[in-house]
Amino acid sequence: MKKVIILCAAFAAITLFFLYGATLYPHGSRLPSGASLEAPSALHLLGTDNLGVDIYAQLSSGFFRSMAIGLATAALAALLGGLLGIMAGYLGGRFDTAVSFLINILLSVPQLPIMIVVGAFFGQSTGNIIWIIAIFSWAPIAKQVRAKTRSVCGTRYVQLAESYGGGALYIIVRHMGRDIFPLLAINGIAVIGMAIIQESSLAYLGLSDPLAKSWGLMISKATAFSGIFFTDFWKWWILPPVFSLMLSVVCLRILARALESYFIKER
Amino acid sequence: MKKATKRLSLLLALVMMVTLFTACGSHVNTAAPSPSSPAATAGTAAKTVKTLKLEGGTDWGAPSPFLNESRGPGTAKMKLVFGSLLEKDETKDVSWLAESWSVSGNDYTFTLFKNAKFHDGKPLTTDDVAFSLDYYKIHPPVSNSLGSGNSYIVDHYTIIDKQKITITVKKATADTLSDLGSFVIIPKHIWEKVDDPNKFKGEGYLVGSGAYKCTKYEGATGSYEFTAFDGWCNGKPAAERILFVPVSNAMLAFTNGEIDITTLPADLMDKYTKDSTIGLVNKANDTGYKMLINFQKCPDFLKLELRKAIYSALDRQSVVDKVFRGAGSVGSAGYVPEGSIFYNKDVVKYSYDPAAAKAAFSGKKYSVTLLSADSGSDVAIAEIIRNNLEAAGITVKVAAYDSATRDKMINSGSYEFALVGNGGWGNNPPNYMRTIFSDVSKNKGGNPHSMGPIGYSNEEITRLAEGQMSETDFNKRIQMFKDLQLLVSKEIPLFVIANQSTYSMYRKDYYSGWMKTYAYQQAEQNRLSYMAR
Repeated sequence: MKKVIILCAAFAAITLFFLYGATLYPHGSRLPSGASLEAPSALHLLGTDNLGVDIYAQLSSGFFRSMAIGLATAALAALLGGLLGIMAGYLGGRFDTAVSFLINILLSVPQLPIMIVVGAFFGQSTGNIIWIIAIFSWAPIAKQVRAKTRSVCGTRYVQLAESYGGGALYIIVRHMGRDIFPLLAINGIAVIGMAIIQESSLAYLGLSDPLAKSWGLMISKATAFSGIFFTDFWKWWILPPVFSLMLSVVCLRILARALESYFIKER
Repeated sequence: MKKATKRLSLLLALVMMVTLFTACGSHVNTAAPSPSSPAATAGTAAKTVKTLKLEGGTDWGAPSPFLNESRGPGTAKMKLVFGSLLEKDETKDVSWLAESWSVSGNDYTFTLFKNAKFHDGKPLTTDDVAFSLDYYKIHPPVSNSLGSGNSYIVDHYTIIDKQKITITVKKATADTLSDLGSFVIIPKHIWEKVDDPNKFKGEGYLVGSGAYKCTKYEGATGSYEFTAFDGWCNGKPAAERILFVPVSNAMLAFTNGEIDITTLPADLMDKYTKDSTIGLVNKANDTGYKMLINFQKCPDFLKLELRKAIYSALDRQSVVDKVFRGAGSVGSAGYVPEGSIFYNKDVVKYSYDPAAAKAAFSGKKYSVTLLSADSGSDVAIAEIIRNNLEAAGITVKVAAYDSATRDKMINSGSYEFALVGNGGWGNNPPNYMRTIFSDVSKNKGGNPHSMGPIGYSNEEITRLAEGQMSETDFNKRIQMFKDLQLLVSKEIPLFVIANQSTYSMYRKDYYSGWMKTYAYQQAEQNRLSYMAR
């Protein structure tokens, strides 16, 4: 539990750091507030990009954009994966076979190339990014939830509840929920981290809103700047979004593992 | 002796330039030098090399006259494979597949090299030239200098023998010789069986008539390989192979010797201009960005005061400073960039006046989508335009697509506002003034130089844009271009954002044959850059 608290505190600190940049910091992330490619200074903590837009403000805006996309994706994926996983595990039969088949297909195909094709087909929008990532994120959740549901279905207390005439919804919520819902939450957190990476990847490849302040897009624009690695600009234009991306994703991943170990192993 | 030769060359060059503009109707019989002749080699000293490697990674289409993308890099690759009758060097038109030519009224007579042949070894004769003319009349190629439909410039042709053909045009203009010299010759024995050239990828579709054969093309990776054609009739190719290779970072690739020429970033100008081993080709103001309005979809902007207000809203200097990093200039509202001999310095100049723009758009609540390419500079310029227009009170959504998709959307009119960037603004003479602004010539051919304002019409602009073609007096023609620019700057059919100056950078000790023609500054896209001269 201590590890979970420490990681939650670390993530809260990261959120606060970016919350300052998105609210109280004097520069906005949308309009230029300085000269082109200013080095970090007291005025612009992480410098400016080629258009003179403050990097820290963009990073902060990018954090909340990434988190919003991650949370929305995780919610969608957890809803879809949880629903299908529970139904497949509980109902069994042809429905289980069909869902398992779908899960195996989604787990076996390379996700990014398909996401690129689908993203290119449906166009650049944040909404499209969310549902595209969600479509490819529910399968691992459903697989785990299905397996857990099947194992819980075989327990004597569930069988007893069924023999007393308990309905499916009642049994799932009252008797299976405490085993399944923590699993859903942990997988959901893991999806947030994955969604942030995938959103950044799609944005880097130009499949996001072209003017969005996204970490992937920041990296894409900076690396496309002619000759950037022969100047000092990369130090404040490329490193901050790369570092932010790594820090957030690693923190979320470790948090998911710590929660898993707390809820499933220690309890 | 050397001095005398040089003077003679210069004199010859001057005479040729004047004849370019005055050839029509003057019964001039011109025998031009081949690329390897003394007149063409003055001041250059390129050696031949095994391989020339350039930045690839973009699919510019198969190098067939019907399948290449309608942009400079696509056309240039096709022209390595397919030869035309004439070529351009630094000062004049020179021979390519035709060893000589003469002009008499509307008759243009070309004499082919006796040993001209196609890549499959079959002889290239006037039958193929005549076939190409007939074929292009029915099936216009991507890069089309002959016109189509009623604007097809050729009236008829007369085959004199296997080497000599006279092409008679409907109306000779100042650019007819260049137009007739530019269409590429395709082999009759292959294409006479092809009904739909836009889909033809069968055997022999890349059998060309140029100095290089296309020996590899991979659209998915944007890789091309061109191999010198042993049977080329006019001079010697400078490289045994030309490779366009995908690279993730052009500057790093150039530094590591993976490519032999690249664009010098403005921020590294000081470092490389001091390096004596580096050669540079200056392309002053040759790349330009314009913003088009589809007036059919946005008819309110047909009001001149609103177009003036848009110019007031745009901080175009910031595009030069921030996106071009100072290497360029704010675009002339008359379109032709500063530095061209055709440039009119007296055009109307619109300054950045956000307060005036805000007042003009106050309460109008316009909302538009700005179409842009998804490359770094295009998106950055689109962002500046979005910020400027939103400050003036116009809501702007930017939609960015790859360059080919953006071009197709513009050509089909699927846009409200569109940002177009392309090279070739330094073309000389600036015939794009006709293909962009004339009501009868614009939006034909798919090239960015023909992307004009949809839903806008202006008789006087059309009269000047078309009229300059027929004007054979050079000075009068310049004046017509200047009058046209002044009118364009007053009427604002489109918005000229900015022009970028760039340098191509290469290693002098490896290969130094990179050149600009009198009409085109992009060294990497000029065929003579790849010839030993």
